[in-house]
Amino acid sequence: MATNRTGGAQRPNGAPQTKVCQFKLVLLGESAVGKSSLVLRFVKGQFHEYQESTIGAAFLTQTVCLDDTTVKFEIWDTAGQERYHSLAPMYYRGAQAAIVVYDITNQDTFGRAKNWVKELQRQASPSIVIALAGNKSDLAAKRMVEFEEAQAYADENGLLFMETSAKTAMNVNDIFLAIANKLPKSESGGGAGGAGGARRLADGDTPRASSCCK
Amino acid sequence: MREDNDDYKFAACTFFAKDHPGETCGSNGLPLTPSSVTIIGQAQRLLILKHPNLCTYLDIIRCKHERIIVVAEVIGKSLKETKSKFSFEEIVNIGLQIANALNFLHKLDITHRTLSDDNILIDSNGQVKLFNYGMNYMTKEGNEVAFPIGIPRYFSPETILSGGGPSADVWSFGIILLELCIGKLWQNLKPGPILRRILTLVHAGNAAERIARENDYYDIYKQVPDYLKNIIEKCLKIYPSERATFEELVSELSCLNTKTHVEIKRVRGLMGCDLHVLYHLWQLAGGDVQAELKKNCLIKNSPPILSMPIAILLDGCTIGGKTGALFDRRIAKYSLDLLKLRLSHISPHDFYPLMHEKRKVYDAVTLPKIIRERDTEYQFYRLLWFQRLLKGYPHTAAYIRAEAEVDIPPLLRGDVWAALLGVCGDIESQYERIDKETPTPTDKQIDVDIPRCHQYCLLLCGEAGHRALKRLLKAWLLTNPQYVYWQGLDSLTAPFLFLNFCNEARAFACLQAFVPKFLHNFFLKDNSSVIKEYLAKFWQMAAFHEPELATHLHEINFVPELFAIPWFLTMFSHVFPLHKILHLWDALLVEGPSLPLFMGVGILRQLRDTLLSSGFNECILLSSDLPEIDIGECVKESINMCRSSPRSISYRRYTNEPAVKEPADDVVIPMETLFSEICPRISLSDFFSLVCQDKCCVIDIRSNLLYEKSCIEGSINVPYSGVQLGQHELRALGLRPQRVISEAVKQKKTVVVASAEDETAQLCEFFLGGFSLLASRRRSTSRPDMEGYFDNDLKDVFEADIDPVSRPCLIDIRYRLQVMSSYLTLGMIKMLFPLPREIAR
Ligand SMILES: Nc1nc2c(ncn2[C@@H]2O[C@H](COP(=O)(O)OP(=O)(O)OP(=O)(O)O)[C@@H](O)[C@H]2O)c(=O)[nH]1
Ligand SMILES: [Mg+2]
Repeated sequence: MATNRTGGAQRPNGAPQTKVCQFKLVLLGESAVGKSSLVLRFVKGQFHEYQESTIGAAFLTQTVCLDDTTVKFEIWDTAGQERYHSLAPMYYRGAQAAIVVYDITNQDTFGRAKNWVKELQRQASPSIVIALAGNKSDLAAKRMVEFEEAQAYADENGLLFMETSAKTAMNVNDIFLAIANKLPKSESGGGAGGAGGARRLADGDTPRASSCCK
Repeated sequence: MREDNDDYKFAACTFFAKDHPGETCGSNGLPLTPSSVTIIGQAQRLLILKHPNLCTYLDIIRCKHERIIVVAEVIGKSLKETKSKFSFEEIVNIGLQIANALNFLHKLDITHRTLSDDNILIDSNGQVKLFNYGMNYMTKEGNEVAFPIGIPRYFSPETILSGGGPSADVWSFGIILLELCIGKLWQNLKPGPILRRILTLVHAGNAAERIARENDYYDIYKQVPDYLKNIIEKCLKIYPSERATFEELVSELSCLNTKTHVEIKRVRGLMGCDLHVLYHLWQLAGGDVQAELKKNCLIKNSPPILSMPIAILLDGCTIGGKTGALFDRRIAKYSLDLLKLRLSHISPHDFYPLMHEKRKVYDAVTLPKIIRERDTEYQFYRLLWFQRLLKGYPHTAAYIRAEAEVDIPPLLRGDVWAALLGVCGDIESQYERIDKETPTPTDKQIDVDIPRCHQYCLLLCGEAGHRALKRLLKAWLLTNPQYVYWQGLDSLTAPFLFLNFCNEARAFACLQAFVPKFLHNFFLKDNSSVIKEYLAKFWQMAAFHEPELATHLHEINFVPELFAIPWFLTMFSHVFPLHKILHLWDALLVEGPSLPLFMGVGILRQLRDTLLSSGFNECILLSSDLPEIDIGECVKESINMCRSSPRSISYRRYTNEPAVKEPADDVVIPMETLFSEICPRISLSDFFSLVCQDKCCVIDIRSNLLYEKSCIEGSINVPYSGVQLGQHELRALGLRPQRVISEAVKQKKTVVVASAEDETAQLCEFFLGGFSLLASRRRSTSRPDMEGYFDNDLKDVFEADIDPVSRPCLIDIRYRLQVMSSYLTLGMIKMLFPLPREIAR
């Protein structure tokens, strides 16, 4: 699995005059739906059957190359257990993109995903790009959430939507690429809310927002 | 024969676990647990069984290609190997010993199912022990292996048809007795015909007689005394329900038994050691289970090309390819010569350490713990001594703690931890009483977490491990209704389960004792203030011991909330692999609840250079995916830090420690203040002892006016208002302060900043009066032993010189003292001032 060549349309690394954009992306969703697995697949091209549960949050970065820009994702992978909910705003506030993940073999996780979308629409920056990922598509035999149902919901709410599998890598890079394409790449970094300056966590601010194109 | 007994104390046999065909997945999409892992988990229970007529299991090892090696005690020879014929009297005695063993197993719900003449061992004293009686149990009735277990000759009819229950053992036992009386049965027959013969017995009125006839032994059978025939026939009933039970057999045989067991003198010295200890030492001395099996040709190496399958089907099944025998009935015995040689110079006296004897100091004690753990001789002494101490627990608790501070022998870690945690009493029945089965809403989360918890560990990844961990978590939650399940509790429980795999009750008792001590209130539904305080304290400790690093991390806004929650919520058990956690917790259990804060600093210290040269992203990446940490070093450093820090600076409000009683020890401040301060506060008494030992340098940052009025002796005045913010150089403070501080830094003194909060300025003045009092009193009494004066007589001073009405002020409103480590760097100068972070920046 390629680690650095995730873009569909690539550019040799270090090509001059490429615009570099940094975006903060957060993963949300019920516990064990495969958030960490998706990130691990995207960033390192690996899949661990026994991926440890996430406590608090984990941070990873990955770069994708589009035609004229290099997009660097700063990814916050959050804890899924409902109890850790109170930490979530710290991570999604100031994020320019979010992937809300559910498990296609578990209807409850889809319900939880919808709640996350609602919360993001209410609390996160208004211009945030939200993608919905129906993960574990390799377990189609045990499907409990229909593709059409999720697609319809995504359309209604203007979300990107894909069914993914961290295990087989299906659609994993694609969903990140789709987000990268949709993100505004103007000089100001798309004007995502709450950018700039180092701020304190105690105020419930983002750990660090960076939405600048250099 | 005697020689023989002494030389070979244990032996191994080996077999292959069943291969799952192809790469099939379980219903949760996760791969199926390999059979070998299930066997290992299942076999753990066998390792703790102890009975005079059972060969103690010593180890179950999983090797490449699903191979399992079983190591267990051996004695003498098997009945199969013994050529001599036994008298009827002897047969009764042998029978009684076997029946005793099986009675014991049946009481534990363990069915032998594979009893045969080659796994009944007898030594020259007539002592009988069953060898590898757990095949059926560890392979889950043979389900986890691809070969039939047991020898057909001893199968009961129902075993052949449907597997059979405990009473199948009674049948096999009957056949053994019969063979002992009349001779080996069905000698020249292949397994198939033997099985057919056994099945035809179904029609026989008296199976024993019929078998004797069939084997041309009828004449001999007739000469067997009635009491024995009687017993044999009670065992060889066709219907399992009609057979005698071992309980009955034991009592009947005891009545018949005339041979009183010769009281063998207990072996002394090395060979008298507990077998598990011997085996452990043997391994340390270089004993290699696999190598020995290879030497004995029980493991054969053939070129891989020979074992490659001819074809692999799409579903992953393979066709062809030579595999070795799945099961080998032979055993390999291990010589103890090497170990004996290694320990030959140890005097007999040393085998029996006395409680009140002065302990020898061993050279090895200066070596790193990991090396000490592999040193045969060192472990030998440690094991004997710890065993001795543990026998005296709880009376020896203080000794155990003192010894554990040096190190803990891995073989006894479970026992020692339990002792350190103060576990005692009837923990079994307490654990028994807790409902661990009734479903609860939390189960859903527990169920998805357990298959992700330390799954590289053979014990925890199997079914037995999963079930035990779930029971422990449920039991803990039910016992502590004030707490809830936070992800991470699974990891926290894992080390206890790992060390007490066959003693769930003790694992539970340890967890139950651990949480209030180290993680008081961490698992409350709303634990935010507890965690926030902990992290703030951790950050202050970092500032105290690693000021330069802390400044950098503050500057890039790398805050502990982003990475350290799993560190402390799980006491690092979610962060490190088990073997590292064990060493970390060894220290934790001895040092107490402040150590983890310093362990956090210890980890940062190891990453120091990288962190210092990195920005926010790299730092957070590094902490999300920790590189290799040298735990030995980290533990050493953190203990040093912990012991060299004034106690009060790591004070936390949310602990289970006894509350501070002495006002001079008190450092309680409002939470909001705590969160805004970079450096920790110090209590008056800690401050005084620093002053008395001339270990600190006091910087008073109040106004000149106040300072002139009254001050701490020897302090320097650097009025806060006179310093330009943003100035990072010591020079900016003025010539004298620069000199004094540089000198203090050189001498590694602690820097104490004394200030007064605005709103309490006037009262503080009064308080300073208290200080002047101290000073004047000192002058007047002119006692030479200053230290004693400050440390012990402080209370007297308070009581003598300040009227009781105003004392409360003294307690609440005093100098605001903050400490910084002696390793103060120039870049840190701005942190000299206890300002809220924003202003400091
Ligand atoms: N079959 C299959 N299993 C998956 C897939 N993605 C993840 N898993 C498994 O699902 C389990 C949970 O995955 P994680 O990535 O730990 O889930 P998470 O959402 O990060 O969970 P939390 O950290 O608890 O919030 C793991 O055992 C993974 O192996 C997938 O695409 N297919
Ligand atoms: Mg995760």
